Amino acid sequence: MSTVIGVVTFPGSLDDRDAVRAARLSGATAVRLWHADNDLHGVDAVILPGGFSYGDYLRCGAIARFAPVMESIADAARGGMPVLGVCNGFQILCEAHLLPGALTRNQHLHFRNRDQQLRVSSTGSAWTNAFAAGQELLIPVKNGEGRYVADARTLDELEAEDRVVARYVGVNPNGSMRDIAAIRNEAGNVVGIMPHPEHAVEELTGPSVDGLGFFTSVLKHLAGAPSLQPAATA
Amino acid sequence: MVDGPERDDETPTGETPAVEPYAPPPSPVSYEPYPPQPHASDPFAPEPEPYPAADPYPASDPYAASDPYAASDPYAASDPYAASDPYAASEYPREAYSAESGHNSDHDSDHDDGYPVEPTASAPVDPYAASAPVDPYAPDPYAASDPYAASDPYAPPAPDPYAASAPDPYAASGPDPYAASDPYAASDPYAASDPYVPPASADEPAEVMVGHADPVTDEPVTADIVPITPEAVATPEPAYEAEGEPEPYVAPEPYAASEPYVAPEPYVASDPHVASEPHVEPEPYVEPEPYVAPEPYVASEAYAPPVPDSDPEPVAAVTPFASAEPAAEQSTVESESQLEFEQAWLGVGFDTVERAAATPRERQPYVALGLQPDEYDRIQQVLGRRPTESELAMYAIMWSEHCSYKSSKVHLRQFAEKAPPSDRMLAGIGENAGVIRITDRLAVTFKVESHNHPSFVEPYQGAATGVGGIVRDILAMGARPVAVMDPLRFGAADHEDTKRVLPGVVAGIGGYGNCLGLPNIGGEIVFDECYQGNPLVNALCLGVLPVGRLQNKAAAGPGNLVVLIGAKTGRDGIGGVSVLASATFGDQSEQRRPSVQVGDPFMEKLLIEACLELYDSELVVGIQDLGGAGLTCALSETAAAAGTGMSVNLDLVPLREASMQPQEVLASESQERMLLIVTPENLPVVLSICARWGVLATAIGEVTAPEDDGGRLRIWWHNSVVVDVPPGSLADDGPVYARPMRAPLDVELMLVDRAETLPRPETGDELRATVLRMIASPNLCDKTWVTEQYDRYVLGNTVLAQPEDAGVIRIDERSGLGVALSVDGNGRYARLDPYHGAKLALAEAYRNVATTGATPVAVTDCLNFGSPEDPDVMWQFAEAVRGLADGCQELGIPVTGGNVSFYNQTGATPINPTPVVGVLGVLTDVAARVPIGFSSPGDEIFLLGETREELSGSEWAHVTHAHLGGRPPKVDLPAEQRLAGVMADGARLLSAAHDLSDGGLAQALVEACLRRGLGATVALPEDLSPFLYLFSESAGRVLVSVRPGERDALIALAAERDVPCAHIGTVGAPGTPVVVEGQFELPLDELRAAHTGTLPALFG
Repeated sequence: MSTVIGVVTFPGSLDDRDAVRAARLSGATAVRLWHADNDLHGVDAVILPGGFSYGDYLRCGAIARFAPVMESIADAARGGMPVLGVCNGFQILCEAHLLPGALTRNQHLHFRNRDQQLRVSSTGSAWTNAFAAGQELLIPVKNGEGRYVADARTLDELEAEDRVVARYVGVNPNGSMRDIAAIRNEAGNVVGIMPHPEHAVEELTGPSVDGLGFFTSVLKHLAGAPSLQPAATA
Repeated sequence: MVDGPERDDETPTGETPAVEPYAPPPSPVSYEPYPPQPHASDPFAPEPEPYPAADPYPASDPYAASDPYAASDPYAASDPYAASDPYAASEYPREAYSAESGHNSDHDSDHDDGYPVEPTASAPVDPYAASAPVDPYAPDPYAASDPYAASDPYAPPAPDPYAASAPDPYAASGPDPYAASDPYAASDPYAASDPYVPPASADEPAEVMVGHADPVTDEPVTADIVPITPEAVATPEPAYEAEGEPEPYVAPEPYAASEPYVAPEPYVASDPHVASEPHVEPEPYVEPEPYVAPEPYVASEAYAPPVPDSDPEPVAAVTPFASAEPAAEQSTVESESQLEFEQAWLGVGFDTVERAAATPRERQPYVALGLQPDEYDRIQQVLGRRPTESELAMYAIMWSEHCSYKSSKVHLRQFAEKAPPSDRMLAGIGENAGVIRITDRLAVTFKVESHNHPSFVEPYQGAATGVGGIVRDILAMGARPVAVMDPLRFGAADHEDTKRVLPGVVAGIGGYGNCLGLPNIGGEIVFDECYQGNPLVNALCLGVLPVGRLQNKAAAGPGNLVVLIGAKTGRDGIGGVSVLASATFGDQSEQRRPSVQVGDPFMEKLLIEACLELYDSELVVGIQDLGGAGLTCALSETAAAAGTGMSVNLDLVPLREASMQPQEVLASESQERMLLIVTPENLPVVLSICARWGVLATAIGEVTAPEDDGGRLRIWWHNSVVVDVPPGSLADDGPVYARPMRAPLDVELMLVDRAETLPRPETGDELRATVLRMIASPNLCDKTWVTEQYDRYVLGNTVLAQPEDAGVIRIDERSGLGVALSVDGNGRYARLDPYHGAKLALAEAYRNVATTGATPVAVTDCLNFGSPEDPDVMWQFAEAVRGLADGCQELGIPVTGGNVSFYNQTGATPINPTPVVGVLGVLTDVAARVPIGFSSPGDEIFLLGETREELSGSEWAHVTHAHLGGRPPKVDLPAEQRLAGVMADGARLLSAAHDLSDGGLAQALVEACLRRGLGATVALPEDLSPFLYLFSESAGRVLVSVRPGERDALIALAAERDVPCAHIGTVGAPGTPVVVEGQFELPLDELRAAHTGTLPALFG
């Protein structure tokens, strides 16, 4: 019985099909969830894909966080279900306060799409345990509002608790504070990442296949690999 | 003619009898005047719709679908749209999405785009459920918490439940004292559903609902329901017996009708609807201006026909327009009663067909709208009367150059006449986009269009709406858009205005295309002074569709309904079409200022998904997108394509501004709208699908059967017919001009001013410096600053994108089938020789596609030229079209569609003729595509094709000497075909292939090395000077690299195809320099710094 990963589609989500393809290529079964349906249909993990949900009206992800499916996802995440938010999904997770901080306009004010070097700085999450500590990945980053910001206290807390999952190496593509590209929550099951691992899963269409590691990680995690810190008591 | 009593001051009453006003005939759809708005005291009542009586489809609430609170809405019980809530969880069972149940990519199906087919067809939504009235007698569970209960003036006063012995003092006190003086009683739209109004007829017993819950038990208080029996009403009993005279009943103060009704503050704070929909201020109700009788017509002024200022250039027309009879002699003064009759018309406020028939003398500003006098006469001939304002606007738009192609049609015929036979073309010129079949089941559609003039005025939105327009054209063929490309041309790179235009255009294309989820896989950025005042923004879109889903635009089937979907209609783009803003009659408000077209990519994304679902469900008979000329073009083209007529009620079109006039509604170019033709049975499902995606959908009319000699397009506005025309006269029978042409006087002079005679670099150092200067020049420099602003990865099927030679998209994941697209043009070559310049553009695009290993199969073109009224430009156009048509015939690939953009001219100086040609090729296996970058050290580098001394029109002459003259490079299409054959057959031999174009071999070599960061050592052949080898721009050449073991196979293949093949060098290790033996050495870092530094330095 293979793992089932659910990929949510909001009005305006664009990379949901790529997330489905990536999940499939990693060996899981991919299922598509509709934003208005608050039933998760028994999936084992959830991906919030990239795109422009609701046209980025008001703020990126500000409207999608109120979708019915987000309530179920928040409950499930508290119960330990792995949740990966990619780009717009990361923005939604921050708006829903499942992750701290916020994503704002790129510092240089342009949309930027480039193949970016990342360094995995924490393998203690459900989505990065398949990597080696400090492994460098080549993943496309493409966003106009991808600058991670948070107050100094939050950033210190993230770094102290090893909750920064990946950082940009080389040139920071959007001006994120402390070069943060991905973070996780305390329990390690919720990860938000700005670059798009689902676009680096095939040699033919991506700059590398390094993105597959994110998806195989969650399969390992769900199969019982002891990779996470003990979940914080509610 | 009205005969009334004489105006006589001695009539007994002293009043002047009024002229009987004209009663308009009933329109087919009843229209009620806009009711005054008694703001409902119930703050949770839905906002009243502007035309409640005219909307026969109340189930189409566009915001129900996007309401995030729908599931948790505490007021759902009273929500009249709850029954049609498209997000009811039961509609999306897991089976629809799981892999086991036939998810698209695991099974053979026609739904190649991956979206699951919603089970709407099997579970039809009852569109009338929403209109089922909420039970007015159900107990109101929120009454106890209703903050307005106490102040609700419409609630009946609650009887005291504790005064059991005291009868209800209001029960039998006679008829409602307020009823007679209530000014809103007659027009209250809620009267029918108001549960608190006693029934009209006293015969019907009714229950008066108390309307509140017992505060202790929280149950509705039913004990006090007092049935009103007919006897009780007819014979009121005295409330109590008093001694003596009963107090006479004193009627309370009548409701003072003059008191203005003040609406209570709308309760907004926790309204859950606010967050889900963008808050739009409701239009304030504006009192219509009182009728002011116009000045009486002074009969003594003799009417003189207008004198034309000067004789316009006689245009050789090929249609009978030239022989059209001029309008009949204007009549002189009529009788008084006729004048009175006419004056009565002026009260209508807008121009109708009846009024046009009755007022033939009325002058119309057709010249200001762009029509010629003979065209105006022709309109009158076609209609048999003068056109109304709306009709005049429609003709002015449809017969303009942009829509009717009147200057170019005679030349564009060559594409059809010289078209090579092709069994792949499913749709060709004349359709929204050309469609090419690539397998038995799959077809692709592609087209390139221009949006030049708006992008100069407002770069971001002009470019964004250009992308939107071409995407809708692709969508209208039934395809899912999957990629875009953008050939752009700007003025000088360092000019101030280019700094205004370029960043805006790039941001607009990125902003719109990225939000739609379309990868940008290629294009061009060219800088040339001739485009300074006329930047060229062309946009290409590629779509994929199953062959069975091909759509058409014919409005077939009389009785079918015409449905307008998408954004609301506003005043966008009206000023751009003509001077409509200043060409109206009478006193109109200043709200006619035109506004810039603003695109909303999110709305277009929803439109794409909704349309694709409609196609998959086979609910659409015909579809047309609303682009330039908006509703006018869509209605007339769909009706003309089918030969039928149409009846349209323009009142039903959702408007952004309530004060729009009918000609504005017809001319509006608001974005993100499509026109559907659906059968009446399918309409409810169509509306529900659109509602689910949050797309506004409105049935605005129906298709009618053709009458005696064709269909009639009739449009109603406010109960009057404002348009009654044969649609064919708008869409098909526009004027056709054979404009005079003349070769420019300087053509011969330029041809002899050859660049081959210019001083050229000789030594190795000079060559080195020239290479660095060339690769840093704006046209040849690295364009990453621009292309980084585009998303290339979305949809996950982009195999090759810029800076590769062609964009390659994978169509079928399983078999690896893909297509390659390239779009190229060269304004300098076309300026020197338009015929060969067009062929060279075609050859370049053809070669780019072939270099990736694909087989070219189809062509699209965007022809950007100056003013067609300039004979020089017209000659250039005719030559370019002839060259392109001849070239396509020689290569055996047809032109499937395209676009012409005229009037790219600043004053009297036109741009260089710029035919932009896009070629599409098929790759049976995208894994075999050949990229441009050298990839492994030791590979052998070969140059295929023949190099000649051809520097005229080259980038070197432009950069070094700012020179444009001479003859462009020779074009040999059979040689290009042989070369393409080598590339297709040798794809698996080659490790890299890069075609040579602007900048020659030097540019190609540098790009191939910098792509992956490998150096190269090259020894140029001896037969020409190194300078010529490096910078000559001979056509038909490709730079390739092969693994050492494959070199013999390549040489044999080239020899077999009679393609010259010269071994020139070897690929070096990563980081090694580019060495041209005996001449110079260039380290990669220096090359990269020069190549990538230009655009960031210019644009930040």
